[in-house]
Amino acid sequence: MSRGSGGGYDRHITIFSPEGRLFQVEYAFKAVKSAGNTSIGVRGKDSVCVVTQKKVPDKLLDQTSVTHLFPITKYLGLLATGITADARTLVQQARNEAAEYRFRYGYEMPVDVLSKWIADKSQVYTQHASMRPLGVVSMVLGIDDEYGPQLYKCDPAGHYFGHKAASAGLKDQEAINFLEKRMKNDPSFTYAETVQTAISALQSVLQEDFKATEIEVGVVQMDNPEFRVLSTEEVDEHLTSISERD
Amino acid sequence: MDQVDFNAPHSMGTTIIGVTYNGGVVLGADSRTSTGVYVANRASDKITKLTDNVYVCRSGSAADSQVVSDYVRYFLHQHTRIQLGQPATVKVAANLVRLLAYNNKNNLQTGLIVGGWDKYEGGQIYGVPLGGTIVQQPFAIGGSGSSYLYGFFDQAWKEGMTQDEAEELVKKAVSLAIARDGASGGVVRTVIINSEGVTRNFYPGDQLPIWHDELESHNSLLDILGAPEPMNI
Repeated sequence: MSRGSGGGYDRHITIFSPEGRLFQVEYAFKAVKSAGNTSIGVRGKDSVCVVTQKKVPDKLLDQTSVTHLFPITKYLGLLATGITADARTLVQQARNEAAEYRFRYGYEMPVDVLSKWIADKSQVYTQHASMRPLGVVSMVLGIDDEYGPQLYKCDPAGHYFGHKAASAGLKDQEAINFLEKRMKNDPSFTYAETVQTAISALQSVLQEDFKATEIEVGVVQMDNPEFRVLSTEEVDEHLTSISERD
Repeated sequence: MDQVDFNAPHSMGTTIIGVTYNGGVVLGADSRTSTGVYVANRASDKITKLTDNVYVCRSGSAADSQVVSDYVRYFLHQHTRIQLGQPATVKVAANLVRLLAYNNKNNLQTGLIVGGWDKYEGGQIYGVPLGGTIVQQPFAIGGSGSSYLYGFFDQAWKEGMTQDEAEELVKKAVSLAIARDGASGGVVRTVIINSEGVTRNFYPGDQLPIWHDELESHNSLLDILGAPEPMNI
């Protein structure tokens, strides 16, 4: 029997298809790819770096207002790949949640706790007919008091895992192949190596050499645990090091 | 002699001060937290951070002032991080303190001095006394020890001091209040906030000036005479 578009199951996400699939969730993953961006995250020995493209399609758009990289608290960052509007509402809720956590419990929300919260919320959407899943894959980064640098990835299905390296978006599979090769022997990257691995992964996968203004790079480091977005000058330095190395 | 009740609510008696100078503000406080006549904490820190650029001096009930600070820090964090995307202004912080103090006036007993620096208005001091008034002042004093400082400031305060002059003034004032107010004591803490950031200073008793009928501080006689041997039972 051919069930090209999933028959009647597309419309009701509470219902499994006869093969045991949730079509709405699969469509959500497709929506993430449809946004056209690719993102990469790499965890090093004492730092984490995430990088994504900064595509500004319209010349009349104010470049400074286009971003996919959001501080959630001083110490936690979130890189959202997929539908920007969905990303913004997720970030808004995550910021509220993290602020309340800090107020209620007296210490900063850890990376894995925030990721779990995002994932659990996403799972709820896969069980309610009234709400669709969000078309966003989130990469959460931060320095944990006990475990050091952490990179988590959360997806529309409600999965969340810690990663040594992760990718999301249009060319995620190619990125993973590149990263697997680079990180095969379980290397311990320094801060510079972490950033440059992430950026060169993106360059290789998209097959273009970037200018500093075309990518967004976010980092956390053990000796500076505040989440920060690199300035154009800092990105330029890393791009130069990469091209000198090659 | 009354029994000391260790479980009584902790009050901070206190002397707190905030002054503006040409470049920022200096906040100062004593460090005594008392429960009746018992000193529950002789080294408390009454100058609390609300944001990187705004601090608050707390007086009155220790619990009430802590919880007000916690709420304001939480709201300011949301305001800054979620809405504004840039550091909060001192005025906003002071207003949030004031709203909590006013709307809960029947249940709170705390006087606060909010001080900080922002890029729009520079250094500012706001007093939020009991009842929830808000008033911006070039300098503010609060707490039980402040009663002894009104005359002193009338004479010693001047506009446009340097950072060192301002800090000396604050240190001197807190130390005078400690000398006369039983509910103030311990060490003097100061916090200086300006465009460059925040500096915390600490002045223990032996670094403070001696006033006319005070004795010099010296080490305990136990150090000189030698500690007695513990008994072997």
